[in-house]
Amino acid sequence: MKLKSFMGLLASERLKLGRSPIWLLVPVSPVIGLVIGLLTSLDGTSAAEQYAVLQSAVLTLHAMLLLPILTGIFASFVCRFEHGGGGWKSMLSLPVTRRGLYLAKFVTVAVLLGITQLLTMAALVLATYYHDIAGGIDWAIAWPSLLSGWVACLPLAALQLWASIGWSSFAAPLAINVAFTLPNILIVNSADYGPFYPWAQPALAMLSVSGGGMDFGAFTLPIENVLITIGGSFVVFLLGGLVHMQRKEI
Amino acid sequence: MKEWIIETSGLSKRYKGRYAVSNLNLKIGRGEIFGFLGPNGAGKTTTIRMLLGLIQPSGGNIQIFGQPLRRNRLQILRRVGSLVEYPSYYGHLSATDNLEAIRRIIDAPKNRISEVLDIVGLSKEAKRPVKGFSLGMKQRLGIASALLGSPELLVLDEPTNGLDPAGILEIRELIKAMPREHGITVLISSHLLSEVEQMANTVGIIRQGEMVFQDSMASLREQAHGSMALRVSDSMKAMRVLAQSGIPSQHEGALLTIGQTDDEYVARAVRELVASGHAVYRVEERRKSLEELFLRIVGEGRGL
Repeated sequence: MKLKSFMGLLASERLKLGRSPIWLLVPVSPVIGLVIGLLTSLDGTSAAEQYAVLQSAVLTLHAMLLLPILTGIFASFVCRFEHGGGGWKSMLSLPVTRRGLYLAKFVTVAVLLGITQLLTMAALVLATYYHDIAGGIDWAIAWPSLLSGWVACLPLAALQLWASIGWSSFAAPLAINVAFTLPNILIVNSADYGPFYPWAQPALAMLSVSGGGMDFGAFTLPIENVLITIGGSFVVFLLGGLVHMQRKEI
Repeated sequence: MKEWIIETSGLSKRYKGRYAVSNLNLKIGRGEIFGFLGPNGAGKTTTIRMLLGLIQPSGGNIQIFGQPLRRNRLQILRRVGSLVEYPSYYGHLSATDNLEAIRRIIDAPKNRISEVLDIVGLSKEAKRPVKGFSLGMKQRLGIASALLGSPELLVLDEPTNGLDPAGILEIRELIKAMPREHGITVLISSHLLSEVEQMANTVGIIRQGEMVFQDSMASLREQAHGSMALRVSDSMKAMRVLAQSGIPSQHEGALLTIGQTDDEYVARAVRELVASGHAVYRVEERRKSLEELFLRIVGEGRGL
């Protein structure tokens, strides 16, 4: 498939999302993070640690629960239009390759996640200003955290997209996603299972680089280890989804 | 030599050992409106899904525009517009945006959107969100999106499903104009003969996955032509009278039947009978409607 046709597919996906409620969901997690950040008391914290503690406060709920759940919602959402009333049929009766359509949906989810991460960054900046932390935001730990959180979501996005395409339902993959996300709180504490649990990867990636007192369980693993898991599962889930899409009877 | 737009040979689709479509040889020529008929579940939609490359055939070949579908799917689909089962639409978007979502993929010129909206008569509703549309309007929007890429072949699966009589008429007029005004070949499926009767020039009837009739509409009509039944005072003698005037007839009890129904022919038969002293009590037309014929064709081989 040529690049031009792929860009056309992307432009079409963007138009479909245009006036949809998804844009109300994107800022939810950053806003919650901001509220938590504003309410966090830094009174007993030494000036040197203040920023790290604040970043950890803003990001923990986001990374641990909301971001993985949003990943599932985005993946389900980009398939929602096609699930209703024979949309896959009419989409694939157009001159598009299945691979192209799948990748366009994946890129759309990745962009939505990227926007969420940027808004989260904005929340972090606002919280930092509010608390008037000396030295301001520490970009050297903020950027790597949000970027690696985004990367850690990609395998999950691929997995959720696979489930969403396979299931022909909006709610079922979402319910499964939430059910698998909730145990994160326990699983990140386990050095044995944490590194291999797809839903825990955003938390491990985002919070372990922040150094905000996260030195237990799977957080103590070297970043390379986490990246290998992420890279490996990304390839497996993306290829799985692609193969499924190629073979799917529409 | 006729140019075949769609040509399948031995096309089959098997689901768990059962054939949904078997050994289908479909031939549709350029500029035809092909009515693809059969009861629900006969394999119409399965066939259409195979023609569009949505599912893989278990056996056989498909050639569209003379090219093998398996290898040239994208090139072929660029020249095909389709509407399978129900129109799919994005309810939160306006009619224009729905078409724009497709236009961005197929890269049609921008002004084509207002053109197709005009063709299907939705220009006035272009800015309204589609979720407020009636079924007939959605169906027309579906046809508009099928026309967006200026296709040479239009594949419509039950486009009048769920429409009221006025809606059906509208769609029918729209489809009839396609070959004439735009040079488009049309494949339209339906489970009702009466629906395609007035627009199709060729029909294929499928039953339990097998094509049981494929010929021109005229030839189907031929097979369905009616007869005249005459009740006369003495049918045996009357038959002889008619035979002498070169009018073949059969008698069944007190009834005589003659094979032709045109006015002149019937008038001549009655005149001959009356002139030779026969009393003619009744002259009735016996119509075997197309629908009856169709039902007989699709009903054959179905156990009760």
